[in-house]
Amino acid sequence: MIYQTIVDTWKEFEANELTHSGAHHLLAIYEVGAAYGGWARVSDIARRLNITRGSVSINLRTLKKRGWVQTDEHRLVKLSPKGLKVVHAVMAKRVIVKTFLRDVLGIPESQAEIDSCKIEHLISHSTGQRLAHFLQFLTSGAPASRRLLQQFRAFQATCPASRTCDICKGHCLIDELKYAI
Amino acid sequence: MNSNMPSSKTTPGPSADRRDIVDDLNRLMAEEAEACLRYFQMRFRLRGKDYATAELFFENAIEETMEHANSIAQQIRALGHIPTLRVNLSLGDEPMRLETALGEALDVEQQALDAYKDFLPRVEGDPVLEPFIRRQIEVETEHVQEIRDFINAKGTMKLVTKPERTGQGGSRRRALKSLKRPL
Repeated sequence: MIYQTIVDTWKEFEANELTHSGAHHLLAIYEVGAAYGGWARVSDIARRLNITRGSVSINLRTLKKRGWVQTDEHRLVKLSPKGLKVVHAVMAKRVIVKTFLRDVLGIPESQAEIDSCKIEHLISHSTGQRLAHFLQFLTSGAPASRRLLQQFRAFQATCPASRTCDICKGHCLIDELKYAI
Repeated sequence: MNSNMPSSKTTPGPSADRRDIVDDLNRLMAEEAEACLRYFQMRFRLRGKDYATAELFFENAIEETMEHANSIAQQIRALGHIPTLRVNLSLGDEPMRLETALGEALDVEQQALDAYKDFLPRVEGDPVLEPFIRRQIEVETEHVQEIRDFINAKGTMKLVTKPERTGQGGSRRRALKSLKRPL
């Protein structure tokens, strides 16, 4: 049942939402075009993403259909106002996730960068907002949040000999990751 | 075009660094090889009459793009390097209309043409590479025009073969022939 829900979520995601590739194309257009009034060449986008110009061109067709990018008669590419909003949302979520991973969980900067890049476009806007609120709470300087953060950092996670707890419910999740290939 | 945008020509002709030239040739080869794979898979997404109409077109396109990739690889080899192929491709499995397939083919051919045109200034003066790239531009220009004509004719033409034409830049066996058949 849970598996089916996950499958349905992914089907819905694939059909309606921004794919990982799409997010990277939009971000590349944003970054490459920053110095040229937002306009980017397909060749520069291809180099940035380390893929062929043909691939970029094909992928742009989907982004154009969704109204996220526009092109001109020279085949230059620019984000539409809607596309720019998508990019800003993705970038905001990347910062939020990266900050959470680095500053709260203590993940090294480079790994936090990689993982946030993978997650940024997958989480919903509302989850991103709640995560930002949680970060605000943790960094507010309020005694309760300071204490919570200190306690978490000092906490030494140990697993019971039975390898079962309230989180794992009979199947040690930490072991799964620890011994993952 | 934005006037501040720099030219794609980063290093002038003969003095261009050999390694950069090889890198660019590898990219051109990847464009052709990827187009070949794209055409290979694309034709199976067509159905019924669309498949029958375009089968030959795609077969020729597969052959020609692979010939182009091979000729570029030979140029890289002649420069003393081993061709490096980087292709990152995941193609969909949903049925496709001929109109969409040709639209994608036009995009791919146009990008290949632009890539050759961008590369030309970097090999100007080179006795081997300049004529080679000029020939490629000539061939790709024809490809683009053929597909564009077909799309503009809104399907009142059919892609068929014609006798092999002698000349450089690979065999040219694709042609457009009038055949009243809507897309």
